[in-house]
Amino acid sequence: MGATHPAMETLLQVSDLLVRYGDRVAVGAISFDIGRGEILGLLGPNGAGKTSTISCISGLREPDGGRFAFDGAAFSPNSDANARARIGLVPQSLALYDELSADENLLFFARIAGLGRADARIAADRGLELSGLTDRRRDRVSTFSGGMKRRLNLAAGDLHQPALLVLDEPTVGVDPQSRQHIFDALERLKAEGRSLLYTTHYMEEAERLCDRIAIMDEGRILDVGPATALAERAGLPGANLETVFLKLTGKQLRDA
Amino acid sequence: MNSLHAAWIVAKKDLLLALRDRTGLLLGFLLPIVLVGAFGFIFKVSFGQDGGGMDRATLWVADEDGTDASRAFVAALRDAATIRLRPEPGDEPATADALRTKVEAGDAHHALIVEKGFAEALTAERFPPLSMLRDPDRQVESQMISIGVMSAFFASQGPGLSHLFTARALELAGLPPEWHDRVVAISKTFSTTIGGLFDEKDRAATDGTTTASDAKDGPDFGSMFSQLVPMTTTDVRPSGRPQISYWMAQTVCGNAIMMLMFGLVACGQTLLREREDGTLSRLLTSRLPRSSILWGKALMAALMGAAQLFVVFAFGSLVFQVNFLADPSTLFVVSAATIFAITGFGIVVAAWAKTQKQAEGLSTVIILVMSALGGAWFPIQMVDLPLAAQVVTRCTLTHWAMSSYQGMLWHAKPWTDASMLTSIGVLVAFGALALTTAHVLFVKRYVRAA
Repeated sequence: MGATHPAMETLLQVSDLLVRYGDRVAVGAISFDIGRGEILGLLGPNGAGKTSTISCISGLREPDGGRFAFDGAAFSPNSDANARARIGLVPQSLALYDELSADENLLFFARIAGLGRADARIAADRGLELSGLTDRRRDRVSTFSGGMKRRLNLAAGDLHQPALLVLDEPTVGVDPQSRQHIFDALERLKAEGRSLLYTTHYMEEAERLCDRIAIMDEGRILDVGPATALAERAGLPGANLETVFLKLTGKQLRDA
Repeated sequence: MNSLHAAWIVAKKDLLLALRDRTGLLLGFLLPIVLVGAFGFIFKVSFGQDGGGMDRATLWVADEDGTDASRAFVAALRDAATIRLRPEPGDEPATADALRTKVEAGDAHHALIVEKGFAEALTAERFPPLSMLRDPDRQVESQMISIGVMSAFFASQGPGLSHLFTARALELAGLPPEWHDRVVAISKTFSTTIGGLFDEKDRAATDGTTTASDAKDGPDFGSMFSQLVPMTTTDVRPSGRPQISYWMAQTVCGNAIMMLMFGLVACGQTLLREREDGTLSRLLTSRLPRSSILWGKALMAALMGAAQLFVVFAFGSLVFQVNFLADPSTLFVVSAATIFAITGFGIVVAAWAKTQKQAEGLSTVIILVMSALGGAWFPIQMVDLPLAAQVVTRCTLTHWAMSSYQGMLWHAKPWTDASMLTSIGVLVAFGALALTTAHVLFVKRYVRAA
């Protein structure tokens, strides 16, 4: 089914990941891996289990079952602070301190990522440059537009240059210019050889950025592979991702 | 859509939102009930069922005369509404020398010695010899005790000596005989006040009518009544203790502790804000050990608390001359223990609450109740509390914090004193227990449930 990337060196391997909320299974023993320098898109309707999956990978939540391997070694991000340092999280919410300046935010997040004072300064400068906010570095985040905050939110997750950057819908609610800026930044990170795990509701984003796409529904991975391969396997060669997605997941609403 | 209808739509939505937060709602209703209950209880205990009584001040007495008349006077003192008489009936009677030692040591602030010749003087229709040893810094208690002594004197001697009091009152008022109108005014006020002292019911019934203090253009009757029974008064300040203002110390420390609780709960709430704003996810996925997030909040709260106490105490020193620096090491130890305990309180509230609204509601209830019951608003030890209520007051950290500061400022006790170590130990234990509980809650509610 293409849960394994074709040729890249495996960076993160997820095996039988299980997440429960009480009796409800949110993620049902799924397995997939991410190659070094790969962008893997995680697509799925609301409640598919995307956020639960990335919460476990980033260390926010201890899974109810399953294993992780990072560079071939067992990996436990929830309980091991050093393991967490290999992953960066860009949460969906704007996880920034509004009353601090852009510079102060980035310096703080760099320090808690384990960087020393001098390295944190370098990382913050790089983050400001990545987010296009060098000129506004001393301004409080509360004065920024939604798009500027989104860009800073992305930079804050990448300060320690983790091998894997987990992005939870990083372009929600931004204008086309900021979205383009974020795309450019992500492509730059990919070019640097970084791996990205990317969730989004925007199909064209996934098609444009992701090397492979995993389509999730009801806690399971329905298929994973490049967009063209997904279309072929769905019996819709040449179809766009949205058509494939709707065929695989159905058209009924999932929020009820 | 008219404005009223639109307002109702908005109000209905807000009511629905309020109803959804059941804990917040419960606290919103619970707050006034708990406050009314707590204060009602305190006032009922301190002022009696009908709210007509007063707090009591402790007076030690030594009966050196040992006659029926002196015993009747002591019995009347025991019944006086403003006095808590010591020793108690079953205890060893005190001697004048023992009481002098007690006041000098700071173990008593007022001691009355009924001198030999008490009965003889009454028989001769003279004021009897009474000596009062008092701590000059306990002025409020001094007034209460003077009133109690006077009422006891009336109660034990009856109206037979009223001419002595009338003469004394006129003399104290400094009025020449030709000022008849003034004399009439004094007499009226005098009889109203004395009558009220004899009969509690009459006093309640005449409440709001003419009293001594209503004579606006007359002499200071409050002060005059305190001198109606002449006593040889000796001021005894416990050796080694500097001059202090008890009530200013009480006011500064009480308010400092109460506001410290509000301040540190607000610091703790930054934990809730991190969660609500989404920044907590960054902290939890960073390289930080999880516990350091909680301890970081506690450290910030403690530093803010230290700064807050420093500012309030500096203000109290400069404006109200409360000498906080008389014993710097004790000030440091007591303040550190207090900050530690209150930091624990602030952090445990934040770790328990699910929303900032819940934390605010819960902490407001607890802080106000603890402040009242623990003596931050007024010295709770002046109130004759039943045993159960005393246990309740000792369960509040404000009680132990106030006891520590009162020990330091009122009695000049060093932190190594046994009673001080007890208070400090309880504060430290409270802080440790609160922080441990906070850590357990943090792991359960923040780390595992992230």
